[in-house]
Amino acid sequence: MNKTFRISFSLKNTYRANSILYGLKQIPLIKRLLPDTLYRVRGLKIFANVVSALWEIAAAFLGKFLYFLILWAAASGLYGERAAAPVFLHIFVILTVIGSFVNTYLFNPTRDKYYALILLGMDAREYTLIHYWYAVLKLLAGFLLFGLFFGLGKGLSVWMCVLCALSGAGIKIFSAALSLARFRRTGKPVNENMLGRFQWILLFVLLAAAFGLPAAGLLIPEMICAVFMVLCTASGLISIRYVQRFDRYQEMCRGLLYQMLHQMDQIPQMVRQQSEKVISSDLGIQSSKQGFEYLNELFIKRHQKILWKSSKRIAAVCACILAAVTGLLYLRPEIKETVNRLLLTFLPYFVFIMYSINRGTGFTRVLFMNCDHSLLTYSFYKRPRFILKLFRIRLREIVKINLLPASVIGAGLTLLLFVSGGTDNPVHYLVLFVSILFMSIFFSVHYLTIYYLLQPYNAGTEVKSGTYALILWGTYLVCFLLMQVRLPTLLFGILTILFCGIYSAAACILVYRLAPRTFKLRP
Amino acid sequence: MRFVIEHLSKSYGSKEVLKDTGFSFESGKIYGLLGRNGAGKTTLFNCINGDIPADRGDFFLEEEGERRKLSPEEIGYVLSTPTVPEFLTGREFLKFFMDIHQDTVRDPKSLDAYFDDMKIDREDRDKLLKDYSHGMKNKMQMLINLIAKPRLLLLDEPLTSLDVVVAEEMKQLLRSLKEGRITIFSTHLMDLALDLCDEIVLLSHGRLESVDRSQSGRQEFKERIMEALREEDHE
Repeated sequence: MNKTFRISFSLKNTYRANSILYGLKQIPLIKRLLPDTLYRVRGLKIFANVVSALWEIAAAFLGKFLYFLILWAAASGLYGERAAAPVFLHIFVILTVIGSFVNTYLFNPTRDKYYALILLGMDAREYTLIHYWYAVLKLLAGFLLFGLFFGLGKGLSVWMCVLCALSGAGIKIFSAALSLARFRRTGKPVNENMLGRFQWILLFVLLAAAFGLPAAGLLIPEMICAVFMVLCTASGLISIRYVQRFDRYQEMCRGLLYQMLHQMDQIPQMVRQQSEKVISSDLGIQSSKQGFEYLNELFIKRHQKILWKSSKRIAAVCACILAAVTGLLYLRPEIKETVNRLLLTFLPYFVFIMYSINRGTGFTRVLFMNCDHSLLTYSFYKRPRFILKLFRIRLREIVKINLLPASVIGAGLTLLLFVSGGTDNPVHYLVLFVSILFMSIFFSVHYLTIYYLLQPYNAGTEVKSGTYALILWGTYLVCFLLMQVRLPTLLFGILTILFCGIYSAAACILVYRLAPRTFKLRP
Repeated sequence: MRFVIEHLSKSYGSKEVLKDTGFSFESGKIYGLLGRNGAGKTTLFNCINGDIPADRGDFFLEEEGERRKLSPEEIGYVLSTPTVPEFLTGREFLKFFMDIHQDTVRDPKSLDAYFDDMKIDREDRDKLLKDYSHGMKNKMQMLINLIAKPRLLLLDEPLTSLDVVVAEEMKQLLRSLKEGRITIFSTHLMDLALDLCDEIVLLSHGRLESVDRSQSGRQEFKERIMEALREEDHE
């Protein structure tokens, strides 16, 4: 038992440490500093092992901390301080029931289980039980610690907090025993990541009951909660023997991991099928153009669903929202002043909105998956003049697609500014409208440029560029942070127009200079 | 015409895949490139096709004593897994290709004539390529690579996953097209290489070397190749 414990944890640690080193090797600049033999460099190994150990500790408690934090916040945030303790208990009891079948610890096929049991042939019973009891102990420790911390803060008694922890573990063990018994009866292992229809319905009903019932003033009485938790604890205690004595773990794990292996094999195929699904099979779609314009027109028409249709839908939703706000201004004239003030200071917020509705990443992804992925293997397609010609055509298309919702938003905001009382300086109207259009153009240029300069995919359609992922993440972060900025619309608008104009020009120059060399499949 | 490789080197980190290697390929012949897994066959093709930069060395066409670089359109590169733009029909893909090559393709034929050459059925020509079978996609890829009449045709294990009928059609096609161009055919299947190719080139220890087959029988020749490839284990 002790040996199995040692080996399996060492295996899990090696797997995790190597994943950390692999992650480091994907980061631009840092990857240049790391040697190719990084997996055998002692210092790096020690570093990765320390991070891995810290991760194990953090994982043991962080999840539970967040779980109780949400409970705590929900109890006080949603329904006020006064009824905090009963609401806390109500939500806890229902979430504990959900946890008993969506997070079993026993029926979760993970990669380290696959390595240990299938590849290394470890004893399935010992391995499963050791990891199971270890997970249950972590749960007990975390629930006790944070249960007491948050529960006492909500006015629960100490014994109630302890009961919360015991019942949390108890219902999991009971549920595990039930699933094992079911496996004995049917021969089919339960996979907690593949819930059945009944379980999904149960999950949503319980979630609605947990967070919705308190809103209607309905709560499970404290006494019933207490009785239920005592029952959970008792059933858990009784089930320990069954889980411990169960003798078909080998069979169960093989069944469970076989399902996972099957899923893993299917992933590349599923990604392909997913991409191909968006291609319209309507053979009535034709083009009378020539060459690259012909290719582009067929591409755009056969991908209507995710390009123009989606853009039109976004534009329609934006138009409805803006019309509703305009209507509201007529119904409740007292909010005009607030809306007017917001329009003159909230423009940075719209950077995030324009970021969210931009179709740029979807466009470049489908460009690669359904077009460039194959055509980049042909020499003719990689001729510099063809690359640049197609870049121009694609830029025009993606700008057009994104400009539709942008012009609706720009025009709508300008109208709102006018209806809400207007402004002394008519330049405001122009700047507001033009800056929204420029934001849209900026995102279109930005995504297409990084796609052409970094072409992040390999022939297997995996993203192989850490820089690309970092830029996408950075774009999100900047847009998110801009939501916190309050600047006069005139100033921010003019700065936006200038920045977007200069960036777009610079990006196009860079593409013209570099794309013939950079736009290729990654090895 | 000859295709000459000189002092070509390529390393991945500390692993030298191609080591200062060179070779001269002659027009009108099919060369079978044999090498063990990881020997660097695909790396060699990717370097020649410009997909990855070589660390050192050069390769060029030599015609009537004159050396010149190959332009991308002079290279045809057929991959083992056929890749075709799934959103186009076979006819549309061919039309697009012909459109952008209207100045360079000599004596163009009608689209249907090309399909006839490749034995692609009439009812399949207007289907989306995503609905083509593996063999049909392979034919389509081969067709596109052949229309431009590339001077150098690189084939990376193109017949391995085809059914016997399509594989035989492809073999006949390659034989009929070998005049006036250099065909380099990489494969793991020695019998296929011996069957189809005029010359056998080994890629082992990062170097290209020719195996003379004129003096020996088929079995003896196979054993010599095996012997040469096995040596890599003893390095």
